[in-house]
This record gives sequence, structure tokens and C-alpha cells, in this order.
Amino acid sequence: MTDKIDTVVEKSVKPDARPRASIRPSASFVKAVSAVVWKDLQAEFRSRELFSAMLVFSLLIILIFNFALELDVRTRQSVTAGVLWATFAFAGTLGLNRSMAIEKDRGCLDGLLLAPVDRSAIYFGKVISNLAFMLIVELIVLPVYSVLYNVNLFQPGLLLVILLGSIGYVGVGTLLSAMSVQTRTRDILLPILLFPVVIPVLLAAVKASSGFLTGSDLADVMLPINLLIAYDIIFIALAFMVFDSVVEE
Amino acid sequence: MFFQEVTPDTSGYMIAGFVISFVVMGLYVASMYLRSRNLRQDMTLLEEMDQEAQSVAPQKNIAAPAAARPPKTVTKKPAKN
Amino acid sequence: MESKPLTLKVLDIVAILVLVVATYMALNAPTERVMGEVQKVFYFHIGTAWTALLGFILAAVFSVVYLATKDLKWDRLQVASIEVSLVFFLITIVLGSIWARPAWNTWWTWDPRLTTAAVTELIYVAYFMLRQGIDDPDRRARFGAVYALVGGLSAPITFFAIRLFRTIHPVVIGGSNAEAEGGFSMTADMRTAFFFALFAFTIIFIDLFWNRIRLGNLQEKVEQLKLKVTM
Repeated sequence: MTDKIDTVVEKSVKPDARPRASIRPSASFVKAVSAVVWKDLQAEFRSRELFSAMLVFSLLIILIFNFALELDVRTRQSVTAGVLWATFAFAGTLGLNRSMAIEKDRGCLDGLLLAPVDRSAIYFGKVISNLAFMLIVELIVLPVYSVLYNVNLFQPGLLLVILLGSIGYVGVGTLLSAMSVQTRTRDILLPILLFPVVIPVLLAAVKASSGFLTGSDLADVMLPINLLIAYDIIFIALAFMVFDSVVEE
Repeated sequence: MFFQEVTPDTSGYMIAGFVISFVVMGLYVASMYLRSRNLRQDMTLLEEMDQEAQSVAPQKNIAAPAAARPPKTVTKKPAKN
Repeated sequence: MESKPLTLKVLDIVAILVLVVATYMALNAPTERVMGEVQKVFYFHIGTAWTALLGFILAAVFSVVYLATKDLKWDRLQVASIEVSLVFFLITIVLGSIWARPAWNTWWTWDPRLTTAAVTELIYVAYFMLRQGIDDPDRRARFGAVYALVGGLSAPITFFAIRLFRTIHPVVIGGSNAEAEGGFSMTADMRTAFFFALFAFTIIFIDLFWNRIRLGNLQEKVEQLKLKVTM
């Protein structure tokens, strides 16, 4: 783990004699972000703890929904979008919690904070890696759900909604998990903080997903998609501005 | 449009509404009062302790400068809110 | 601790008076024809809703100021504002439910306003739960500020989202469109009661807010003293 942190530090500080101000700041920012992402992906690739937990949890949730809701062929159509997004929301908290907890417990967060990079690079890095984990899980859940309920979920529109929704969810979730991991109540707190705030995402995502699955016309579907895009932009911008305050000592 | 409908008697609900409003506000004011009273009691107690500490060992008194920048020590009763 | 400033003592009395007058006006306002007496909770419902919403917006402003200045005074202001707004909004929600029951034969309508109110209330409850889990005052203030901003931004978005997307599920029986504001028009008398209620709750809010700030300041003094004594 420490060698990855060294990479982050290395890549953000050019070894030559030029003063730092004349170095293109965007280059070191991008390098810092990619270093964080790469560190997470590599760590996860080796242990697969996050990924397997999220996946199994998702499958179990789908199973529970099968018993909880009477999913006959007709109801299924109206309820599929909701079931999918409920699954993603719950499994998502798992991933977000663990991802930040790993940072904190192994001291990676402190190491990253020592690196002379803009704090928001850490934020973006974590968002991208959390997003990657969430998308991978979603991409596995989709075919499983399709097979179990005999519905084709691989439509480009639906995939777009899943992408936009996940971005919003993970964008806010990463910021909030950075806070919750520093409290006494930790894991329990994240869903309590996250769910009320992420409701517009769930609303719009379910509406848009439903629209795509039932074949509504494009005009109906564009409205929720626009809301998703607006939400993503607003909240990632906000997180970008405040993340500093959340991780400073 | 056929005949004048009778206005339903919903006064029970109305009374419930007003009562709840007053009760909730009253409880909140009471809560503020109780909290304030407890804090004042803590205050007098602490001031006493402070006086004792000051009179018993004046040379060991680290006093104001330290209090101005409270260290991040664990306090016995963490603050609510 | 300094005793209450005279202005505040006066304000306390004014607040009580104004509440009494508002109640009197509400009770004596003309009865609405379709719903009957229950409509009168509307005056308090809107009064508390309006002030609570202003309180939440104020809290978001305090967030920004705190993050910019790092002066804990703004944190105390924020806590006071959110706490009072939380109490007021609770009244709003309960009155909304009480109104819905005889008007639309259901305790809860999933209409945009009521639903957003419930979500918003949960956001600010979560705010206090977040603060509860942090001991360091600076961190508590920072996190509170960030969350109040995030929550404050998402609540209006939630409202618009529900309004745009939730056109199905009218759970109401015997009522018209669940989203309608009860659909009654106000006579002049009702209007005066209405505006007076708004005015009254603004006064009451300011009074409770000021008192709560003083409580926060007292808390801060006690904390400082504790640290000093346990050194």
C-alpha cells in the first residue's frame, strides 16, 4: 500500500529545478487522480473483498425482493426499475463504507493527505474508483436479473441511466462517507446521511429506467435524464469545493 | 349541483391540530428551559471547582492562555450537538 | 451567565401574545365550505412551513459563512436555526397529515409538498445524528456545515423531481387531484388570519431562535470551563 502512496507523491512533484508555479497544475492533478484510482483498483483486484461483498449482497437483495413482492409478469414490468435501483442503492452503501474505511484504517488517507496534491484530486480519485466498483457490480446484476425474470435489461438507454445515476450516487456518497468514517457511528451513519439526499437520483433514475423498459417515447425520458445530469454536475461541483474541509485535520 | 351539501363536521381534527401545535412548541420550550437549567447547574459546579483549584494551588494554575486554546483532549461528557 | 436582555424578555411576551392572537383569528375565521373546520389548521400549517423553510435556507447561508471564516459563532447560529426549523417543520408535517385525513380520506398523500417535507425533516434529523457522533467541536462544525449545504441543496431538487415525475398513484378517495392545495379560495377574513399567522410565526421563530442561540452560547461556556477545570 505504501508504494502506491509513494507513486502519488512522486507523480505530483516534478523532480526538476523549475519552480512549482510554472508546472501545469492540471497535469499533476490528473496524475494524482489516476494514481489514487490505480491504487484502489489494484488493491481491489488483489483482494476482491469489496467487489464480492457488493455482488453477493445485490443478489441476495434481488432474492429478497422476489419473496417480498409478488412479481408476476405484469407487475414485474412496473416494478423492475424500482427493484433494480433499490438493490443498487443498498449495495452501493456497502461499497462506499468499506472503500473509505479501508483508507482510514490502513492509514492510506493520512498518507494521501501528506501528498502535495489538491485535496479534490483525492476526492475525484475515490469517486472514480467507487464508481468503477459500483458499475462492475451493476453490470453483473443486470444479466442475472434478466435471466431470473426473463426481461432484457441490456438496452443502451437503460445503461445510460444506470451510469448517470451511479455517478450522482457515488459523487455524493464519497463525500458523505469521508465524513461518516470519521465519526463514532461510522457505517450506520452513511445510509442515514445519504438516502434522504440522494432521493432525486433514485426518483429520476427509476422514472427514466422505467421509461426505457416500457418503451416510452424519448421526450418523457429526457426529462429525468436531464435532472440526473443536472444533479450530477451540481453535487460533484459542491463536493469539489467542500472536500477540503472534510478531510483536513 | 343537486342540493347544497352539508359542510362536514371536522372540528375534531381542527382541535387535534391546534393542540398538537401547542404541545410540540410547549415541549420544545420546556426542553430549552431544562437544558438551560442543567447547564447553569453545571456552570456553578464548575465555577466552584475552578475556585477551589485556584485557591488550593495558585502557583500551578495554568489558567487563561491554556483555556483560550482548548487541546483536543477527550472530555468526560462530550457535548451534545 | 448574563441574564436575559430586556429585548428578549419583551420578545418572549410578544411571541406568546402574537400566538394567542393568531389562534384566536384562526379559530374565528370563516369556516370553509367543503372541508369544514379542519381547514383552519392551514394557518398554522403554512405559518410553520414558511418560517421553517426560511430557517433551513438561513442554515445553508451560515454553512457558507462558517466554512469561509471558521468562526464557531456561525456554527452555533446554524444549530439554533436548524433545531427550531426542525420543530416547526414537524408541526407542519403533522398538521398536513391531519388536514389530509378528513379532506382526502387518507393520513398521508404522497404529493410533492408533503413528501419533500418528510424527506427534508429526515435530512435535518440526520444532521443532528452526524453531529452527535463527533467530539471535536471544529470537526463537528465543519461536517455540520457541509451536510447542511448538501441537504439544503438537495431538498428543493427533491421537490421539483417529485413534482415533475410523480403524476401517478393518487391514493385519495373522494378527493380531487392530490396535488391541489385543497383548492379553496380565501375570503378577505381568511386572508387576514393567514397573513397574521405568517407574521406571528416569524416572531415566534425569531424568539425561539434567539433563545436557542443563548443556550448554545451557554453550552460553549460550560465546555470551555470543563476543559479548564479538568486540565
